[in-house]
Amino acid sequence: MDNATINKESALYKLLNQYPLGDNTSECLTCGACNSRCTWFDGEGGPLPRQIIRMAALGLDELLVNSDMLWDCLVCNRCTQVCPMGITMDKVVRKARSLAIADGKIPEDVKIGIKRRLETGDVNGLTTEEFVETVEWVSEEFVDEVDDPKAEIPHDIKGTKLLYLPNPRELGINLLHLTAMAKLFYATKETWTLSAHHTDVTNWGYFVGKDDITEKMALMVVEPAEKLGVETLVLSECGHGYHVLKYLLEDIIGRKPEFEVLSMPELIVRYAQKGVLKFDPGVHPYKIAYHDPCNIARKSGGYDAPRELLSMVCDGVVELIPNREDGICCGGGGGILQDSHSTPKRMITGKPKADQIKATGLQNLATACLSCHRQLGELSKHFKLGVTVDTVASLASEALIL
Amino acid sequence: MERTIPNILIIGGGVAGMAAAIALADQDVVVYLVEKENGPGGQAAKWACMATDTCENCGACLSIEMADQVKKQKNLILHLNTSVKNLNKKGQGYEMVLENKISFFVEKIIMATGFSPFNPVQINSLHYDAYKNVITTADLNTLLKDETLSRYFNQKPNPKIAFIQCVGSRNREQGADYCSQVCCKISLRHANKLIHLYPESDITLFYMDLQIIGKEIRPLFQSLSKNIELTQGVPAEILENSQTNMLTLVSEDKETLSRVSKAFDLIVLSVGMQPSQTLEATADLLDLEPNSWGFFNTVPGVPLKDVVVAGCAHGPKNILSSQQDGRIAAAKVVEDLGLNIKKKKGIAIFGEGVQADQTALSISSKGYPTYLFGPGTTLSEDTAVTVLNKSRMISLSGTAGNFSLYYESKNKKQTLTCTAIIAAFEPKQTLNRLNSLKNPCLSLDAFSELIEKTPNACPDETAILLDYFGPEFKSFAGLALKTAVKAKALGKNISIIMNKMLVYGALGQRHYDEARQKNVDFFRFETSEDLKFKDSGNGFLIKLKEATLPFIELDLHCDCLVLPPSLSPARGFKDAAALLGQTLDREGFLQSANTRHGLTQSPRKGIFFAGTCHDEADPDDLNTEIDEILSVFSTTHFDLPKIDTGVEINQKMCAQCLTCIRICPHSAIIMNEKNRPQIIPDACFSCHLCVSNCPAYAIESKTLTNDQIARKIKKDTVTILACERSAALAAGPLTLPDRISLIEIPCACRASSDVILKALLNGASKVIISGCHSENCRSLKGSNVADSSVRQVLSIPGVESSKVIWEPIAANETKKFEQIISKA
Repeated sequence: MDNATINKESALYKLLNQYPLGDNTSECLTCGACNSRCTWFDGEGGPLPRQIIRMAALGLDELLVNSDMLWDCLVCNRCTQVCPMGITMDKVVRKARSLAIADGKIPEDVKIGIKRRLETGDVNGLTTEEFVETVEWVSEEFVDEVDDPKAEIPHDIKGTKLLYLPNPRELGINLLHLTAMAKLFYATKETWTLSAHHTDVTNWGYFVGKDDITEKMALMVVEPAEKLGVETLVLSECGHGYHVLKYLLEDIIGRKPEFEVLSMPELIVRYAQKGVLKFDPGVHPYKIAYHDPCNIARKSGGYDAPRELLSMVCDGVVELIPNREDGICCGGGGGILQDSHSTPKRMITGKPKADQIKATGLQNLATACLSCHRQLGELSKHFKLGVTVDTVASLASEALIL
Repeated sequence: MERTIPNILIIGGGVAGMAAAIALADQDVVVYLVEKENGPGGQAAKWACMATDTCENCGACLSIEMADQVKKQKNLILHLNTSVKNLNKKGQGYEMVLENKISFFVEKIIMATGFSPFNPVQINSLHYDAYKNVITTADLNTLLKDETLSRYFNQKPNPKIAFIQCVGSRNREQGADYCSQVCCKISLRHANKLIHLYPESDITLFYMDLQIIGKEIRPLFQSLSKNIELTQGVPAEILENSQTNMLTLVSEDKETLSRVSKAFDLIVLSVGMQPSQTLEATADLLDLEPNSWGFFNTVPGVPLKDVVVAGCAHGPKNILSSQQDGRIAAAKVVEDLGLNIKKKKGIAIFGEGVQADQTALSISSKGYPTYLFGPGTTLSEDTAVTVLNKSRMISLSGTAGNFSLYYESKNKKQTLTCTAIIAAFEPKQTLNRLNSLKNPCLSLDAFSELIEKTPNACPDETAILLDYFGPEFKSFAGLALKTAVKAKALGKNISIIMNKMLVYGALGQRHYDEARQKNVDFFRFETSEDLKFKDSGNGFLIKLKEATLPFIELDLHCDCLVLPPSLSPARGFKDAAALLGQTLDREGFLQSANTRHGLTQSPRKGIFFAGTCHDEADPDDLNTEIDEILSVFSTTHFDLPKIDTGVEINQKMCAQCLTCIRICPHSAIIMNEKNRPQIIPDACFSCHLCVSNCPAYAIESKTLTNDQIARKIKKDTVTILACERSAALAAGPLTLPDRISLIEIPCACRASSDVILKALLNGASKVIISGCHSENCRSLKGSNVADSSVRQVLSIPGVESSKVIWEPIAANETKKFEQIISKA
């Protein structure tokens, strides 16, 4: 058996034990509640949340930084939800990851993605020319789609009411999703725009716990949006993007932004309530299960908008058990999905989710995060669930009455 | 001048309220007891009996007996199915209006509104409302009481059952950063009962820090830990396997260094105590402010002058502590009303340490002439306590109110007459040692003193080792926490190495939280084998398999290693017990565990125990014990024998064999000046053991002679001789069929072999003798005596074994009684 020496002078110990109530790891009661909530619950390996906290609390930095647990953690905060001392696992893991990175330990794909994002504003390294080319081409298709010669997908227009911040996938392998969103913006009859500075809703700085990078990436979104003078920043369906740009934003940039932040489902629900957007639920004549993205639901309190919207565009929402604040992670959270080597692991982390979906006996599943969407699709295939996975907003787009 | 009789209002008819009422029975007051349910009894009356082969000292049956007593109490008016609607200050008291519009004036109020079990519906992830087989300890009580638990097991002989501790307790996020004090004990007793009922059941108890505190729990834990699985770590989520419908819990698995999910047939949530909603409403009426938890156990929960808080309104308490608190509240009222002005007589205190001195001081400060048999080292020169040091005890005679203590001092034989005696001896403290070490360890006391007196000498790195030599005593765990926080304030590093942290008392959890906040390091070990110690320079190297980090061995260096002492019975306990006519408990401490006599009293009236000589006690507990003893002094008239014991010695028939004096469990029979045995009414508990055992048939019961019992026997009926404080109370709610005839007896021991034989001869088709569970008999051996009488009768040729039966039935085992008569 290996051995380690308690070190109260360690960097992590100093980082974490100076936190006030709630995030001070030395407050850990060692009650073990967290262990029972880890989404890896039926799999081998994976993190034991209490061990992470204990390593941090006792200054065993080296152990923790070298532990697979650190990168296997899905940062879903299911454990945090039940912690009697309110210790936020998400903060602890991200702080520890930041130390690991200083030590050169970071999944290669994540490292490359962060580099590209900081250099070009897009994790996939999409250049401005590529952006303009892509958007203008999609815009032409869009005219046919809505059968209106005046329709367009505008970009870089100043002073519009709405600014859409897409997921990089919408400008890459999932262009249809962008068209679907454009249709909804079109139907709101509001002025709206895309922006060459706003191609990426993600913020991987958050995954790796580098506060400076997280802030920089957030400002890369905020400042150009303020320059454009938009009223509302509309986020594509992205879990951690929502958590960072809506829930944490003021803490991260230290001020209120000059615009309101809404997720796509929140925007649609607002216009539906005003009676501007109308849907035909008959387009989806089936009941649908809804998967709560951890970052939107448990970590930001965004439970209702996706459900309200689904109930308008389908034959009704069926809850997975458990759900909402107790919802189970899809198995792709915390940056694991962004590591291309993680697929076998993700089929272990996703097993509880797959079981949950199977138990509903339904063929349709929706979620409000494109990362969850990808992971759930892969789960359906791997576990032969025969489930079609859609995003909430794309279903709304399909059911839209123009 | 005409004197008006004061009215006292008791809000709440649970254990504390009833105890307060009963303590006021002999006072010149009128007690109004208001209870919202349809009978007195409270939560405890809903609980099941935890007895297995013997009583497990939970005290639940007492609530039934107390309810019976309250209903019969002469100076008490019971208002049921109602609650207090309005209270208005008026002159020297309150004008009170009940929900049912009845109103009256009261001088004093005892608020005994009790507790509510935590409702786990509030915690979604436990799915208490959705999954049928997730129940609470409160539900389990009902199921055990109704004998309907089996339906949860689908005829499985070996059901898998889990207990999850601390549900609704020890959770700052839920606003409950307190330990509910009772749940560990309740779950351990429940697990013990389940193993008894379903010997093949597979029980796992998930705990945070098992609170093994007190004389009745230590031995239970020792035996139970071999029969159930104990797992540190409390699962916070229950899931249902959709294929098997089994409930699933996930916990850390030390073997695979991963997590494991386990399936269970039944999961029991060990729910904590919350203040009752009645408390909130009543506190509002009285303009009292409870603390942030809603209790009155810490400031600002200090009530007004005319209101005394008692029982669980004060904070989480077990049954016996609630009873104790009720008595103390009653005494407070008696004192406030100036009713305890009778002449205060002498009290003798035994003991040679701080606890005895503290006891003597408190007793004497209340105006009792106090005699301390001990050095009284910590008492001041001018103390009012008479210190009788270096005395050798010879013998004790007499009864409460009139004891004669014979002792030898300065080679002279002396006698002291006193009302009561309090034993407050010090147990033996053994300084623990670690044999493998050459460097000296420090005792916890010495380390604590060092921090207090010479803080500059405090070492930089200190480790305090708890639980290593057996489950820690709570006073040492508390001292370790307190001392560690002080060392931390001096800027020193300090670790506490433990198997569990004891967080007893109102603020126990907060003290533990504070220590962690201040960066005292806590390490857990599972067994003492997980620790190795080495000398390292002038200090120590501790190699530790930390329970929360099972994949690694930790090295911990310290300059100073601190060990608490072990407590064991002192050499003098045996002699003291013999002198006082008492038995020792299973571990050799004073006072046999028996809930019938509360926490401080003994079966011999006027003999009390205080401090660590009889149970685990910290300084707060000692003060509470002294308060309880004082409450007995101020509400009991020891010198006014007025109880008709119903038992008489026919001196003409007496053969002076002294059997009665020898066997009386209450030492209530003395040899009088005419050299004749005499029953002292106020010391007698009317158990009739002497009646059953007098070889000359010289001791007669006025109301229950053998002949009188025989006359009550009906031909061809099943005759049940039922103890009036257990089986007869259990039968109370039932309508008995004609083929059953129940005869109440004062104690099971009244059923002598003569009585049983007479019943059979008079044509009883069957005789069932039923009384308390073994070790719960108020007169100690009553049940064992009855059991052996039954066996004696069965040994007579021709008596069929099915015709005479001994069945222990507690007062709260109505269902069991029903089952027995349905089969009879």
